[in-house]
Amino acid sequence: MIGQELSETGKRLFRDFPILRMLWESGRKRGIRETIDIVEKAEEFNRTFAVPRALELDMRMEREPEYFDWEIMREACKYRFLSIFIPKQLGGIAGEFMVTNTSLLMDELCSGCSGIALAVGAHSLGVAPVITSGAMAHWDTVLKEIVEGELKRQPVTMAYAITEPSAGTDVEEPEYLERAKLSLEAKKVKGGYVLNGRKCFISDGSEAKYFTVCAALDRNRPLQTWTTFLVERDMEGFSTPRVELKMGQRASHAAELLFEDVFVPDSHVLGYEGDGMGNGILMIMAASRGPVGSIATGIARGALQHFLAWARTKRNGKRPIDEDRIRMNLADMWGMVQENRGLYMNNAMLGDAIFGKALDNPIMNLTLGLPSSLRTMSLMRNFLNSYYGKAMINAVLRYYLRDEDMTQLLETASLAKFSCADNAMELCSRALNLMGPEDSEERRWVEKCYRDAKLTQIYEGTNQLNRLVVNNIRFEETLRVEVPRPFKKGVMA
Amino acid sequence: MIGEPWAKESKQYAVLRSNALNFASAELAPVADDLENTVDSPLLWKAVERAGEMGMLAALVPEQLGGEGVDLYSLCVALEESAVECAGFAAALLFHNAALLSMGYVERKDLVEEFTKGRPLCTVATAGEVSLGEGRLQGRAPFVFNVLEGTVALLFASSGDGRTAAYVRTGTEGVETHIDPYPLGWRVSNFATLEMKGAEPVYVLDKSGKEALEATERTLYLGLAAIANGIVRKSFQKAYDYARQRYQAGKIIIEHQAMRLMLARMLCAMEEGRAIIRRACGIEELGPAVIAWRGAVANSYGAHRDAVQIHGGYGYMRDYGMERLMRDAKYCQMFPRPEEEQLLRLLDMAERGA
Repeated sequence: MIGQELSETGKRLFRDFPILRMLWESGRKRGIRETIDIVEKAEEFNRTFAVPRALELDMRMEREPEYFDWEIMREACKYRFLSIFIPKQLGGIAGEFMVTNTSLLMDELCSGCSGIALAVGAHSLGVAPVITSGAMAHWDTVLKEIVEGELKRQPVTMAYAITEPSAGTDVEEPEYLERAKLSLEAKKVKGGYVLNGRKCFISDGSEAKYFTVCAALDRNRPLQTWTTFLVERDMEGFSTPRVELKMGQRASHAAELLFEDVFVPDSHVLGYEGDGMGNGILMIMAASRGPVGSIATGIARGALQHFLAWARTKRNGKRPIDEDRIRMNLADMWGMVQENRGLYMNNAMLGDAIFGKALDNPIMNLTLGLPSSLRTMSLMRNFLNSYYGKAMINAVLRYYLRDEDMTQLLETASLAKFSCADNAMELCSRALNLMGPEDSEERRWVEKCYRDAKLTQIYEGTNQLNRLVVNNIRFEETLRVEVPRPFKKGVMA
Repeated sequence: MIGEPWAKESKQYAVLRSNALNFASAELAPVADDLENTVDSPLLWKAVERAGEMGMLAALVPEQLGGEGVDLYSLCVALEESAVECAGFAAALLFHNAALLSMGYVERKDLVEEFTKGRPLCTVATAGEVSLGEGRLQGRAPFVFNVLEGTVALLFASSGDGRTAAYVRTGTEGVETHIDPYPLGWRVSNFATLEMKGAEPVYVLDKSGKEALEATERTLYLGLAAIANGIVRKSFQKAYDYARQRYQAGKIIIEHQAMRLMLARMLCAMEEGRAIIRRACGIEELGPAVIAWRGAVANSYGAHRDAVQIHGGYGYMRDYGMERLMRDAKYCQMFPRPEEEQLLRLLDMAERGA
């Protein structure tokens, strides 16, 4: 029955992710069809575009780190990857299982080239805070512009700027933010804020038109004053002076952002002043770490595909795969990939359960149900940007994004992030050790995967931070921690 | 100073280590990044010339043939110190010395003299499948470093008598060179596949071939172990310095237990590396050399991975000098043979009592 309705991609997904099949069988066919559709598009994107140019582009960007291949974003427009987080009412393609779709998209794209995938995915990371903060005043401007640009194949992209030169992991967690040494500061002035300082390692930073930027209003009280701003590239005093030469994932730029007296109007505060680590924005951490797990999984899967191709090719009259030890290694590697998938899907499904409810609420549906002409009227925009407008949206979001859900979401995200990243590194490293001094295209690919994989252990909070986050889990509720006493008192004295 | 070996070496090796470190600091450290970006650069040949003046170009060849006649541990010391600043350069020296070692066995002073001029360097090819028949070479030898026009490569070829060794010169008839434009590590010199299409060897090691081959392999394994250990030392130095400066979660990161554990593991790796290399250099057999290589490169993998991690985002960027260590270290683990193949061979050797 399933076989008749599904494409080859659908069958593969059902085989690799039984949870998708379960949802399909349970009647969530529309949502799962969207999921399959996204993965099919990603496969085609890889086959026709990313894979044929990945190695050459990677090599070129080592010689010319400032070069950016805009064809990546134009091609992404063709498949509508730039609006995967944007609600359908605004012209986007956000599906019923938005977080799952994003995770599967990144897994698939990264199996081709994680640099190209990051260029596409980092844009959605920039878009996400505009959605999750409930900044509806900008939905009909910024998000609409992205959608319209996408349809015309004139990409308009966003980036998310959080890392600072002296604070990387610190700005990823509320507990550490309190003690972070920050360089960027926003000062309240009449009608808005003035930003001074730097952000660094910002993915897509040198291409984006819009930035969601987190900054403290008081560097001595960062947690209490952490605020998210919408910054536009053409704002006076804003520049991107430096692009890093990365070891891997090179097709996407990691740029430095420089703020020199950049004036940002009040209307460009996403959420409330000082609400930058509120659930709306914290959701981004949770929603981005899980997909890093899927990025790592895609890289690992790509490496495994190339390793398998190598193992099946005859060398000196023999195929490596005919040896038991190679087949056992392949089984281990496949185990790592499937373990990763289980972990990131746990996070993605939970994200959809929480996030789906939060976005599918009566207030937002009512607002999005209004004709665009009404929504964009200055009266409406002013209301949405006013204290009362924000309070209304915030109340709705807080109702759905409960603290215990956010904690669980962060735990699953962090677990997926560090486990998937470590597995990806281990898989790539092992594949290279098994191939040894080999002259083959497959080895070159796996070397690229090895370089690419390392970044997944670092970004979105180092794996060490993410391990500590997982410790927030309430072990005593989840595990039986009572120690049984099998011996009578005195025996173990 | 932290990172110095606990186990002290004899004065002879301590002096050698000090001289080699001075060479690395003066000649390699300032140009290591440039060497990585341009193969066959004048900077490389200047460093090679200085290495030649210090006796590092024919270290293992007997003095009567024009070499230095030093023991293998001395070469390992020189390679480890060079690798602290530039593992690619150390690898280039290793392949050159390993190739020349065999010439010592055949007492070809003329060849040694020619090949110790410094440019081009010699090299060794351990992988692929090359055969020798009727005085001609056929087949492919991948993963060959130091390749320039006129490079002399030592190939391990199969022949009617088993495995033998032959020297072949690039740029001559029947030798095709395919340069890999984009190797992961050791980017100081060209990295290529050599294709033999009826090439005539410069010289073939016949009766002494087996002994020479084993000596060459032993040199490669222990040299790579020493280079890996140099990478561990650099990883530790950089990570330790960075950890004392970088602030995170309310304190400098060296005060975090996770960072301290990583650094402690690097210390263990350094000490273990030195001990197993020293021990294996004292045993004239291939088995202990393989075991030392395996231990040192595995330690190195853990150390550079953690060192990059301690640096966070900075560790991943070219300008901060960590990512090169990670790329170079991986080739120490992949060369000269895949690890599992070598392990199986090790057991075979042990069963034969070799």
